[in-house]
Amino acid sequence: MNTIPYAHKMAAHCESGAVTSLLNNAGLDITEPMVFGISSGIFFGYFHKMKSFTFPTIILRSQPGQMRKAVSKRLGIRFHTERFRDPEYGMKRLDELLAENKPVGVQVDFYYMDYIPEWERVHINVHYIVVVGKNESGYIISDSYFPNLGVLKESSLKKARFAGGNMAPKGFLFYPEYIPEKIDYNKAIVKGIRKACFNMLKIPIPFLGVKGIRQFAKRLPEWPKLARDTEHLSHEIMKINILLEDQGTGGGGFRFIFATFLQQAAEILKRPELADFSKEMMRIGDGWREISLFSARIGKNRDLGPERLQELSKMLYDRADNEEKFFKKLYKSV
Amino acid sequence: MKEKEGYVDCPKQQLILYVEKEDGKYGPMQTGSYITRNYLDDFESKQKSLEESLRHQVINGEISPVHYFMVMEDLTISELASRVKLRKAKVRKHLLPGYFKEISAEILNSYAEVFNIQVNDLLELTHIPGHSAGEKEINE
Repeated sequence: MNTIPYAHKMAAHCESGAVTSLLNNAGLDITEPMVFGISSGIFFGYFHKMKSFTFPTIILRSQPGQMRKAVSKRLGIRFHTERFRDPEYGMKRLDELLAENKPVGVQVDFYYMDYIPEWERVHINVHYIVVVGKNESGYIISDSYFPNLGVLKESSLKKARFAGGNMAPKGFLFYPEYIPEKIDYNKAIVKGIRKACFNMLKIPIPFLGVKGIRQFAKRLPEWPKLARDTEHLSHEIMKINILLEDQGTGGGGFRFIFATFLQQAAEILKRPELADFSKEMMRIGDGWREISLFSARIGKNRDLGPERLQELSKMLYDRADNEEKFFKKLYKSV
Repeated sequence: MKEKEGYVDCPKQQLILYVEKEDGKYGPMQTGSYITRNYLDDFESKQKSLEESLRHQVINGEISPVHYFMVMEDLTISELASRVKLRKAKVRKHLLPGYFKEISAEILNSYAEVFNIQVNDLLELTHIPGHSAGEKEINE
């Protein structure tokens, strides 16, 4: 079996990247920010205690799988999806689809992506890649986080697709089956924006949306009590930088990619006020980047006393206020 | 963020940032990871010191090799139990050196698969004597 001709390119985020590249390769001209925005990808959640995390953590995007589902619903695109109980059958099915020259999106545990440097890899079951071929060395992978096509051993891909744990992939695979000839982007964009505003402002759960940012700000000073020692606390504080910048956000905790979406939306909808919102969102993203750089610096310097954490907490309260104002205004305008 | 401000020279880890280009348009830019470029040595030194501390605890008989790898891989008991398809109570026992010796070869294999290591890596961490499943594995 050979590699299917496939235009690989890096993307900010794995799910929006995989969905965009599958659609691009199927002939639809759509950008990653458009996929992200239409699917209301922007989000915030603070989880102080969760059975699958060893330490409090934040999330900055909608639920995994939601981007594909929302894009499908709002643009009228149909994705073929399958899950498997039997790993052998799941791998056989993938081979069959590749033999039909279909690039296939699969959900995997990121930890087993051998072509990615070891220090980056963690157990997270919601990584999305596109398999574009198979040769004697293994499967050919288009991964948004890797500059070139990667090669993954069959055993690694099998472990990654059938890992257990929270949000286990169960061999999940998908590919676009039907793309309408004419797509009404206007409606989809407005729906995407409205849902994003709803998610940030109105979910009645105290740790989600803008309330989640405030919860994060409130509980961050408790972190030293939860850490094993100073080095552990430093590691967790520095992870804020990774979650905001490195872990597939496009920078500023997805705020820059959302700003790009709003700029593109302003052009498509011919609504210049969205371009102003876009600029404001870029400034909000800069504010998050300031937090990520601050976290990395104090973590590295082990400057983690109560005063410094209060300072970080104050910055977070400030970002929560800015986002609350922003999303309220945006909600009213669409 | 402007294009110039976002650029980081770090070929070891590349990523995409969305930035403001010179013409005022926002778009993707391939760049390097800020934290990898500036703080990878710090991360590695913390990992090393954690590893040494855990190894010491294994050698002193305070924790089992399963506990060692669980902490190194940043997994909770609940997550590990779900991945090896065992009850949490069972995994909790396997974190203790006394019970570790009783783990069957099959279960050791499941742990090794989750940690992406060989079974021998679990056993050779301390050369735990008297581990029947482990000795069998080594002999094979």
